[in-house]
Amino acid sequence: MIAIPLTAFLLVAAVLFAIGLYAIIAQRTAVMVLMGIELLLNATGLNLVAFWRFTAPQDYSGQIFVIIIVTIGAIEMAIGLAIMMLLYRRHQTVQVDKYKALKG
Amino acid sequence: MEVSPVLQWITFGIFAFISIAGALGMATTMSMFRSGIFLMASFIGVAGLFILLLADLLALLQIMMYIGGMLVMILFMLLFSGDPGGAMMSTHMRLRGPEWFFSLGLARSPQSKADGNKDDSSPDKGNHEEEGEKEGNHGNDDMSMFTPVKRAAALLSVGIGALLIALLLWRPHWAVVRQMPDQDSPRRIGHLLMDKYMLAFEGAGLLILLGIFGAVMLQRPGKHPDPTQREDLQAAVDAPPAPIKTDSPFETAEPDQETEK
Repeated sequence: MIAIPLTAFLLVAAVLFAIGLYAIIAQRTAVMVLMGIELLLNATGLNLVAFWRFTAPQDYSGQIFVIIIVTIGAIEMAIGLAIMMLLYRRHQTVQVDKYKALKG
Repeated sequence: MEVSPVLQWITFGIFAFISIAGALGMATTMSMFRSGIFLMASFIGVAGLFILLLADLLALLQIMMYIGGMLVMILFMLLFSGDPGGAMMSTHMRLRGPEWFFSLGLARSPQSKADGNKDDSSPDKGNHEEEGEKEGNHGNDDMSMFTPVKRAAALLSVGIGALLIALLLWRPHWAVVRQMPDQDSPRRIGHLLMDKYMLAFEGAGLLILLGIFGAVMLQRPGKHPDPTQREDLQAAVDAPPAPIKTDSPFETAEPDQETEK
């Protein structure tokens, strides 16, 4: 039996979410923005696993949800880094506010 | 199989501290390489929390995919594009709070000692991580790796974090089931993936395939050459082939000079 309440895990996830949000907004480099997004996804996964463990431990659908989220995060990272490398070749900078050509 | 509650709390504290401190270090340090390493620490902390929640397959997946895959991608990207912040930023900016703490040792900055003495908010306390972010620095933000809205972003994220924490503390009673999950959970997950969630599994596989193709297609060189480059390519194609010399196999002049331009 687990002695730690569900709220403790959710608090950790909330703090991770807030830090990831800060990283996304405040960082100027595209790699850092991607890292912030990964942190957000990670916080979401922690939330899902905590809710799975505490509310429906016999049903493993929550873990499958987390597996799908991790997969999506990996694909997003790969595509994002590929796009970023392309932009770096064109503009010779990694700062996202220099990519004004993407504004359309 | 039963773990004492004290040991559970100690484990939880260690891993929660690792994950939160790693995330904070990722968000505030001046070196992007250090950010990647801090992010790895944060992922390891979350993997430990997964193990504590008896989701051991997910912990393994977390370590293998995030640290084995994504972190390698991030570090490769940093080596490719250089480190825009780094030691220069930490010397020329006055850093305070967690930014000062997580950028320690990046460069020899004379004012860092003075900052360290009046730095009263110790940034490595697991629960009070966010208060330190309120103190923005007063250096030149334009050259840094932070956007000009950094202070507003810090306030916003602290506000959202406080709101989430307040909401969580305000509603403390969830419908918690006192059950243990199966000890053989990877087998159960595998059966679910192959039975009930077959479509999602196949969709994820297809998505990975498309992602691989997309990344390779984006990175393929010479797909859209510049106009000058295109003329050179056309000239190289139209040029008559060089005669093949049979004297030395290493001096055969192949018409591939356009790759050097």
